[in-house]
Amino acid sequence: MILRRCIACAITVILSLPCAHAEKSDAFKSAIEIPAGVYRPLFRGENDPREIRIPRFFIDAHPVTNADFLEFVRANPKWRRSTVKRLFADDGYLRHWMDDLTCGDGRGDQPVTFVSWFAAKAFASWKGKRLPTTAEWERVAAAGFESADGSKEPRFVAEVGRWYSTPAPRTLPEVGQSKANFFGVYDLHGLIWEWTSDFNSAIVTGDARSDTGLERQLFCGAGSLGANDRTNFPAFMRYGFRSSLKAGYTIHNLGFRCANDP
Amino acid sequence: MKWPFFITLLSGLTILNCGADEAKSSAKPPCCREALPLGAYTDQSLYQLDSKWTSDVSRELKLGVLRGRPQVLVMFFAQCEYACPRLVHNLKALESAMKVDLRQKVDFLLISFDSDRDTPEALRAYREKNKLGMANWTLLRGAGDDVRELAALLGINYVKDARGQFAHSNVVTVLNADGEIAYQHQGLEDGSLKIIEILERLTADAARPSGRKTSQ
Repeated sequence: MILRRCIACAITVILSLPCAHAEKSDAFKSAIEIPAGVYRPLFRGENDPREIRIPRFFIDAHPVTNADFLEFVRANPKWRRSTVKRLFADDGYLRHWMDDLTCGDGRGDQPVTFVSWFAAKAFASWKGKRLPTTAEWERVAAAGFESADGSKEPRFVAEVGRWYSTPAPRTLPEVGQSKANFFGVYDLHGLIWEWTSDFNSAIVTGDARSDTGLERQLFCGAGSLGANDRTNFPAFMRYGFRSSLKAGYTIHNLGFRCANDP
Repeated sequence: MKWPFFITLLSGLTILNCGADEAKSSAKPPCCREALPLGAYTDQSLYQLDSKWTSDVSRELKLGVLRGRPQVLVMFFAQCEYACPRLVHNLKALESAMKVDLRQKVDFLLISFDSDRDTPEALRAYREKNKLGMANWTLLRGAGDDVRELAALLGINYVKDARGQFAHSNVVTVLNADGEIAYQHQGLEDGSLKIIEILERLTADAARPSGRKTSQ
């Protein structure tokens, strides 16, 4: 009887913790080493190399969670929902939380979303890290389940394609539920979109199928860019998505993860 | 015989090294004014940024020193072969199209994408080549991350290509006296009329009204 009451009590305590999250193994939480390699940019200038060399770096195994972000706003009051400056986040910032310091039961292990690029960048530097560049992110995301080049794995291509054609669920799943990729990194496809440090390097207009006069007007030098791989549909979607973002935007399925140098 | 030369040299130094000398030279660039004690920045002000910039007169500053007068801001780079010369040409045309009274209440601000090549010296050469007036034009360079952040705030996308040229959005931004984005003109078409109309409105209540009063 007493034992049962204790268990009930313990469960109550656990449930009432804001953003309680289950303990994950160290291997899961840690940053993953990505060896030096190459990235083939989707768009490149006539004179640009086909491949960009990316030095060795580390990337978080999974996206930053609500529980992680709660720690950050506890330590940095200026990034709380009620105090953040409108210049650095629109009014949807952390909208899914109950208040400044409560992200809600069962949300702890979900990826944090409704965060602006500025907030993501501030979190990363608070951790002594940084956001990955688009090239770094794409290099990791190009890996399949068995190799560093997922485009040669039909099962991987089909799985990624399925996610990009499915609307995001209202309640996001927890991080780390999907199958890790070749490098051991989770959730690059199938959970959320992610900020990159240079998301605003995408030079494309809303309706850009070729070199148009409009693009030449709006972008200096845009006429010289051409697509590298016209079959990589998910990469086009990511490129288009990034180009439509503004740094203060907060969106229900846009989060981030950190990277760092060796 | 030597005095006139000495005085010329001295005044030349004053212009270049404006931070050190508070003499009432009318040729003091906007970046070298004292920051106005106007209290906290507004929530939308770009002047909240902590990033440090260097001007073509080698002055280190935060953007907040530009507070008090509207700024016409363009991001560019000195070795641009395509659009930037036209953007800067448009700005100069805009300047000449302003009435003298308005011209003395507005500053022009050029900020470079090219953190590697646009050193203060390169920017100074650019100023001279394009005859950008000392009294109302500021040319700045910053660290790569800070440039990326400022561009993000202005909604400007850019990417560097293999030759070191930058593909970038062509945008003229008008900041009000508090550093908030008041208006943006996209593209290379001349938008002077609309910009002047906006500036007329903004200067009516700016804290640093006229060019001549500020040298105190």
